[in-house]
Amino acid sequence: MTRTRLLGWLAMAAVLVAALAIGVADDGGPRTPEERARSLAETVACPACDGQSVAESDAAASRGIRTLIAERIDQGASDDAIRDELVATWGESILLTPDSSGVGGLVWVLPVVALVLALAGVGYVFWRWRGMAAVHASDADRELVDQALAPSTRARGEDP
Amino acid sequence: MTAPVAPESVPPDPGDDVAEAPPRRRTGLIVSAVVAVLAIGFVAVLATREPATDRRRDSPLIGRVVPPLAGETLAGGNFDIDDQRGRWVVVNFFATWCVPCRIEHPELDAFNQAHARAGDAVLVSVLFDDDPASAREFFDGNGGDWPVVLDGDGLIASAFGTPKVPESYLVTPNGRVAAKFTGGVTRDGVDRAIDQIEQAAAERGAP
Repeated sequence: MTRTRLLGWLAMAAVLVAALAIGVADDGGPRTPEERARSLAETVACPACDGQSVAESDAAASRGIRTLIAERIDQGASDDAIRDELVATWGESILLTPDSSGVGGLVWVLPVVALVLALAGVGYVFWRWRGMAAVHASDADRELVDQALAPSTRARGEDP
Repeated sequence: MTAPVAPESVPPDPGDDVAEAPPRRRTGLIVSAVVAVLAIGFVAVLATREPATDRRRDSPLIGRVVPPLAGETLAGGNFDIDDQRGRWVVVNFFATWCVPCRIEHPELDAFNQAHARAGDAVLVSVLFDDDPASAREFFDGNGGDWPVVLDGDGLIASAFGTPKVPESYLVTPNGRVAAKFTGGVTRDGVDRAIDQIEQAAAERGAP
């Protein structure tokens, strides 16, 4: 029983480590200019429509921004430089990904805090459950159960 | 699992609803009063609002050097805003499919005619998400002989941060963006803005 449980934990740890490794390794690979333009366009809000990114929208303004992004990538600009240029023209609201400093930083911090709290809560509940399993029935409890079962067992003629 | 049977599973007595129904007449009165107040408020907001034309908007570009605006014109020539230093420039983004653009066209024409004679301001339009043939037809039918720059890839509109038309920008004689207008302009509105900005500059003692 304990060995099966240990194997279960090991399997979970292996999956977690593998997922993290793949997630980290995938980020740094070489990307084509089109892929860069596409992923950058996904972080830019369409200025003429609600809730769409420049990558998904076909509004004239979005097409213009896509052309601008492609042109800047061609000229060798970094992603941050392109984003800065867009903010300088359109204002901070042009970015779909909020700023990581100031009040905007809360957007990034709060999910992590929530995750940690949730994990702590789950851990606490598990710990309490384990504690409850260790409670043993007292003699008085057994007597109560026997009393409750007595009429039914007698009715079936199983009274010892 | 031996969950206790929930008492809610018993169907409610239909008589209860009738006994507890609110007085309908009073509810109707309250609803009509709320709707009336909302309608009056709505009319008041619309009536006291500034007009849809000549509406000045904030833009990150205001006070900065005007973005590059150069390219082929509808008439087949070339236009570069950098050649216009020393004069006020009104940069107008428009499309022939845009109704407010068609409405502001005579106003732009009047502004252009008045200032072409004086030589103190020029008007340039940028075609936004529209084809040159429609624009040519529109100008032939409605008049106007100021340069119309083609922006097929939308890069000029992107550089100005123009999401929709009509939009106009007022550029000072030293090449800085001074104002942004959305929803169409009038000749008087633009002239007033130029006067205000010149007056403010004179008060500050700046050229």
